[in-house]
Amino acid sequence: MTATQGYEVILRTLKSGGERVGDLDDTDRKPDPWESAMQATCECLSWRGSWDNLERRHTEDELGETIYDQFPVHSRSAITTAHTFLDRGIVSQDELQEKMTQIRARLERS
Amino acid sequence: MSDPHKPIQASEEISEFEVLELALRELAIEKGLFSAEDHRRFSEWAESIGPSNGSKMVAKAWTDPEFKKRLLENGTEASKEVGIDWTDPTGTGTPSDYTFFYVLENTPQVHNVIVCTLCSCYPRPVLGMSPDWYRTPNYRRRMVRRPREVLAEFGLHFPSDVEVRVHDSNQKSRFMVMPMRPEGTDGWTEEQLEKIVTRDTMIGVALPSADWDASKAPSAGGGK
Amino acid sequence: MTPKFKVGDRVVVKDQTSLFHTRTQAFVRNQEGTVVEHRPDWVIPEDEAFDKLETGRKEPFYVVRFKQTDLWPRYTGFAVDTLETECAEGWLRPAGKNE
Repeated sequence: MTATQGYEVILRTLKSGGERVGDLDDTDRKPDPWESAMQATCECLSWRGSWDNLERRHTEDELGETIYDQFPVHSRSAITTAHTFLDRGIVSQDELQEKMTQIRARLERS
Repeated sequence: MSDPHKPIQASEEISEFEVLELALRELAIEKGLFSAEDHRRFSEWAESIGPSNGSKMVAKAWTDPEFKKRLLENGTEASKEVGIDWTDPTGTGTPSDYTFFYVLENTPQVHNVIVCTLCSCYPRPVLGMSPDWYRTPNYRRRMVRRPREVLAEFGLHFPSDVEVRVHDSNQKSRFMVMPMRPEGTDGWTEEQLEKIVTRDTMIGVALPSADWDASKAPSAGGGK
Repeated sequence: MTPKFKVGDRVVVKDQTSLFHTRTQAFVRNQEGTVVEHRPDWVIPEDEAFDKLETGRKEPFYVVRFKQTDLWPRYTGFAVDTLETECAEGWLRPAGKNE
């Protein structure tokens, strides 16, 4: 099954200024573009055979209510995908952290 | 609240989740789990589909009693009349994702509303992508347990003699609500009627109204 | 396949040990409801999860309607409210009998 505690690289996304969770995800909030992009990623993973949508949804619920319960609900797909990639050894924590650092640098360059 | 005219600092704007999303996507693409084109096409399609197929079916049912009968008896077949083949893998899923389609008719005695507690399945071929709130645990948990509270949050209230019937789409069937035709629409064409059959009315969290077609912001005069 | 239950029959959802891909919700286990519609035979979800769409066991499916006041002890709506969901035949037994 999955790891019983959160991966550091994922937990850090909340500590470093990510949104804090409230009691309920504000139903009035508008989704950010990255959320739609994340959904597209999940759909592609299911479509191309890596990770079935239904299984992913179950994992999102499970992780979102346990080891990542301090994360906002709208981030569940992202953190669950990251967690699953790490669990399955698709990427290592170092690889993911390195990629995130590169991307932030790229996005901030302009 | 920050000054709207102040130049945006890049680091203020880019959240960690945004970075995480892009990182996961690029890593997945690098590892060959899917292609960048796959992702782009999916996004493009997701933004292009909407509830117009559903609206067409409801408007047609309102104006054509024979079609209405066919639609209620066999939704999967009747869908073909508006160009939707539920068994054709169009990117909205495959036959193993969903197979049967049923339309739920609202009456003065029964108000229908749809939810999927297990995973937020949704009738995409007729309604497009599901709204974000539909996929939240908030909606999925509460719509079965406290439907009237959730409906009230959407502004909908029903008296005690109207049955609120919640449909949990846990298997292969997908559902869409056929709302009742509202007052003030006598003599309207199918085209006019289509416009007021909005997404939320076919999920069951809203009722159609002659003065609301979701095409303009309410604040811009889109509604009364 | 001949469906075992008729429209109008009272049925109870069994509380079986389920494989992880079951689609029978926790909140309907041991609950009694009414069959309101037949649904086409289909491969049961437990077999479908193991990718046996071609060879999996098929069963009749039913729409079962429950009273919300039966499902939720502290239901805050009205007595007239209901919930409908689909069940494979294997998950149902006739009400009033013990198995």
